[in-house]
Amino acid sequence: MKLATIGVGNAGSKLIDRMLEFEQETGRDLCRHVLVINTARTDLAKPDHVPEDRRVLIGDTHQKAKGHGVGGDGEVGAEVAKNDIDEIRRVFDDVEIHEVDAILVAAGLGGGTGSGAGPVVIDELQKMYDEPVYGLGVLPGEYEGGRPALNAARSLQSFVTKVDNFIAFDNDAWRSRGQTVEEGYEEMNRELATRIVTLLAAGEVDDSDVGENAMDSSDIMRTLDTGGVSSIGYASTDLDKPEGLLSKYKKKEDDEINSMDAAKIKGLVRRAVNSRLTIPCEVSSADRALIIFAGPSSMISRKGIESAREWLEQEADTVEVLAGDDPREDSDTLAAVVLLSNVTETPRIKEIQNQAVDAQNKIKELDAVREEEIASLITDDDNELDPIV
Amino acid sequence: MKLALFGVGNAGTRIVDQLLDAESRTDRPLTDGNVLAFNTTPSAFADTSHIDDERQVVIGDIHPDVSRPEDLADESGEDRREGVAGDPELGVEVARDDLPEIRRALDLVDDTEVDAAMIVAGLGGGTGCGLGAVLLEELASIYELPIYVLGVLPTSEESDRRAWTAARAVRTFVPLADAVFPIDTESWLASAESDDYDELNRAIATRLVSLFGAGERETAAISELRMDPNDLKRTLDVGGLATIGYAETELEEVSEGWYRRLRRLLGLDVPEREPQTDAVSIKNLVQRAADSKLTLQCDIETADRVLLVLSGPPKELSRKGFETGRYLLEDKTGTVEILAGDEPLPEGSRITATILLSNVTGVPRIETLQRRAVEFQREQDDLSASDPDDLSAATTLSTSDTQRSAGNQSTGDDQSAGDEQPPSDDHGFDFQEAELVDQSEADSEGESTSSEDETEEEPTPADGDTADDDTAATESESTGDGSAAENEPQKQ
Repeated sequence: MKLATIGVGNAGSKLIDRMLEFEQETGRDLCRHVLVINTARTDLAKPDHVPEDRRVLIGDTHQKAKGHGVGGDGEVGAEVAKNDIDEIRRVFDDVEIHEVDAILVAAGLGGGTGSGAGPVVIDELQKMYDEPVYGLGVLPGEYEGGRPALNAARSLQSFVTKVDNFIAFDNDAWRSRGQTVEEGYEEMNRELATRIVTLLAAGEVDDSDVGENAMDSSDIMRTLDTGGVSSIGYASTDLDKPEGLLSKYKKKEDDEINSMDAAKIKGLVRRAVNSRLTIPCEVSSADRALIIFAGPSSMISRKGIESAREWLEQEADTVEVLAGDDPREDSDTLAAVVLLSNVTETPRIKEIQNQAVDAQNKIKELDAVREEEIASLITDDDNELDPIV
Repeated sequence: MKLALFGVGNAGTRIVDQLLDAESRTDRPLTDGNVLAFNTTPSAFADTSHIDDERQVVIGDIHPDVSRPEDLADESGEDRREGVAGDPELGVEVARDDLPEIRRALDLVDDTEVDAAMIVAGLGGGTGCGLGAVLLEELASIYELPIYVLGVLPTSEESDRRAWTAARAVRTFVPLADAVFPIDTESWLASAESDDYDELNRAIATRLVSLFGAGERETAAISELRMDPNDLKRTLDVGGLATIGYAETELEEVSEGWYRRLRRLLGLDVPEREPQTDAVSIKNLVQRAADSKLTLQCDIETADRVLLVLSGPPKELSRKGFETGRYLLEDKTGTVEILAGDEPLPEGSRITATILLSNVTGVPRIETLQRRAVEFQREQDDLSASDPDDLSAATTLSTSDTQRSAGNQSTGDDQSAGDEQPPSDDHGFDFQEAELVDQSEADSEGESTSSEDETEEEPTPADGDTADDDTAATESESTGDGSAAENEPQKQ
C-alpha cells in the first residue's frame, strides 16, 4: 500500500517519525507523503525523519494557543484546528493523491491536540478525497487519569464515525516496570510503528509476478472496509542467516528443511494473536481478519499459510480471513502480523468510557460550585470587609 | 512559561530581586528582563541587586500625603514612615494620580515576549495592597495575558491593621487576577529559628522557578511530556487561590571508579550506570511534594486543578513512577483535571517534584485573617463612634498601629524603624501621635486632612461623625452590607 501519513499532536507526530525510521531501516517504502501538525512549537522540533517543510504549526495566532499547545483541552484543540483549516488545507494541496492508496491519520487521544484537532483534520480529508482515511489512535492508560480518559472517550466517537477504520493502541498494554519516561514512550512508538508498517507495507509494489500468495493493497483495504475499531497482533522469529560460501552451498541443499514447516508457521500466528494485541480484544468478535507473513519467501510454505488461515478462521469465528505473504528476501526475520478488523469486544474501551463518565461528572460538579466557592473564600462571614478598588 | 514580573512595595521588590537571582543561578530564563519594581519611596530599592535603575519606579512621591525621606530627615523612630505609611487607600489614590507614570514604565516591558504577567506584593502593606490593586486593574485592561498575583500574607505577629489590609487585598485581587498565590508567611517562619525571611524568600523563589521555569532552560534535552505554557495557564484558568508544593531527592554523586575508567581507556564499552531511583521512589517523591509545606497551607482535597512537573536526569525518571505519582494526585485531590510533565535535566544532581494546586478553597489561614480583620474593623468603628469629635481618628489609629508593626520590616513597605513601643489604647496618647503626624505633613499646602480623604474612599473606619445616628450609620455603612450595619447600633 502507498500511504499519505499525517501525525496530529505530540504522540501522533512521534509515531509517524518512528514509522519513517522503521521503513527506512527495513527498506520499505510505505509513506509517500508525510505531514505532522501540532499546536506547540517545541514539539514540532522533535521528529528526526520528518522534513522541516512538512511540519505545520497551527493556532500560533489563536489567543488560547499562541504556539504553546492547548493545555490538554480537546475542545481548544478542535477550535484551533477549525480556525486554521485553510492553512491545513493548503498543505494537503501538496499531496499527490493519485499516488497513494489511502491516508493514515495518527494521533494520541488523551492529549488536547490529537483528540481535538485530529477529527477536524479527518473531516477535511474526507471532504477533499475519495481515498479511504484510516485512523491510528493511541488510547491513554488508566494511570494517566480522568482528563485524558475523557478526551479519549469523546475523541474516539469522532474518530470512529469519521474514519474508514480506526486502529487502536492501548498504552496500558505496553507499560512495563523499569522504563524511564523517555524509554517508555519510545518503546511503545517503535512497537506500534513496527506493526503498522509491516501490515500496511505489504503489497506496496503490487507486482503480479511475486507469486500467488502475495498480499496486495486491495486485500488489506477490503479487510479494513468494515469500519469500526481494529487491533493488530504481531510475532516474529529470527532466522539464522547463512554466512559465507560454504553455508550458501549448504543452504541450497537444505532448502526444504530450512523452510518452516506448517506447524511452525501456524505457531507464529497463534503467538501473534495471543501475545499483546495493540488493543486487547475478544478475537471472536472480529468481523474480518487478515494475516501477512513478512520475510524471505523461501521460508513461508503455502501449507503453513493455509493452516494458519484455517486456525484464525476458527478463532475469529468468521469466514472472512485472508492470508498471504509479503516477500522480503533480505530480511533476517520472519514476522506474522494479524489484523483483526471491527472487533466489538474491547474491555479497555469500556473502561475508558466509564473513567470518562466519572471524570465528566467530577468536572461538572467542580464547575458548578467554582465561582461560589471562590467568592465565599475571599469574603468574610458577614461580608463586612470591602475591596480596596 | 515566560513571566513579566512586577514587584510592588518593599516585600514585592525584595522577592522579585530573589527570583531574578534564582533565575540566573538555575539557568532558566524566566523573565528575559521583563521586570519592573514600583514603590512609593525610593529607599525600598536600596537592597536590590538585580533590578536596573530605570526599572525601579517611584510613584506618588509628589503627593502631599506621601512622606518622602527628606521630609522625614528630622524624624526618627516610629515617626519615620516613608511612602504611604501603611495606608492602602492612600496607595490607591497615589497610584491613580500617577497612572501616566505607571503606563510610561510599562513601556519597558514587552508583553508580546511573555506568556503571563505576575504582580508580587506584600498584601499587608499600603503600597503592596493599594498600588498593587491599581496596577492589577491597569495590567488587566491593557494586556491580553493572564495576570497572576504573588501576595505575601502578614503573620500573627504583625499588626491587626496589616491583617485588615491583607484580608481586603485578597478580597480585591482574587476577582481581578487570573490567579492569586498567597504566601503563608506564618507557617514558614514558625519552623525557622528566627524571623528568617531569607529562607522563606528562597523557598518561594525555588518553587516559582521550578514551576514556571520548567522547559524554559535553553540547554534542556527534549522532553517527552513537556509542560507547555498553556498547560500552566489552563491549570490556573479557574481563578481563585493557588498554592505550590515541592520535594526533592538528591542523587548521589558517583565518581568514575577505576574499573570504568580502565574500560574507557581500553576503548571498551562502559556499562550503563544503574539508575538510583525506581518507580517507588519517584512515586514517593510525588507523595512528599503533595504532603510538603505548601506556599499556602490548605486542604488539598479542595483543589480544582493540579499540575505536576518532574525534573531530573532522564534516566532517573521512571515512567511507572511518574504515572503512579500522577494517579496518586488524582486520588488525593479528587479532581481529574491533572496535567503532568517531565523536564529532563541530563546533568542534574537531583530529582524534584513540583505540584501546583489551583483554586484551593479549604484555607484556614485566610479565614483566620478575615476574622482578625473584621475584629479590627469593628474596633475601629467603635472607637470612632465613641469619639465622634476626633476628626483625626483614622490617622491616630494608623499611627498607633505602626508601633505594633515596627519590628516587622520584612514584609512591610513602611520604613518604620526604631524601638518598638507597647501598643496603647489610651486616647490621649493616640491624639498626641496624631498631632505628630500632622506636623510632619504640615509643610504641604492645601493639605486635606487624611481622615476626610478616608471618609470619601472608605467610610467604614472613619465615619465617627455620623455613627451615633442610626439612620446615618446605616447609610454610611451601605458600601459594606446590611449585616455590618445591623451590628453597628447594637454595639452602642
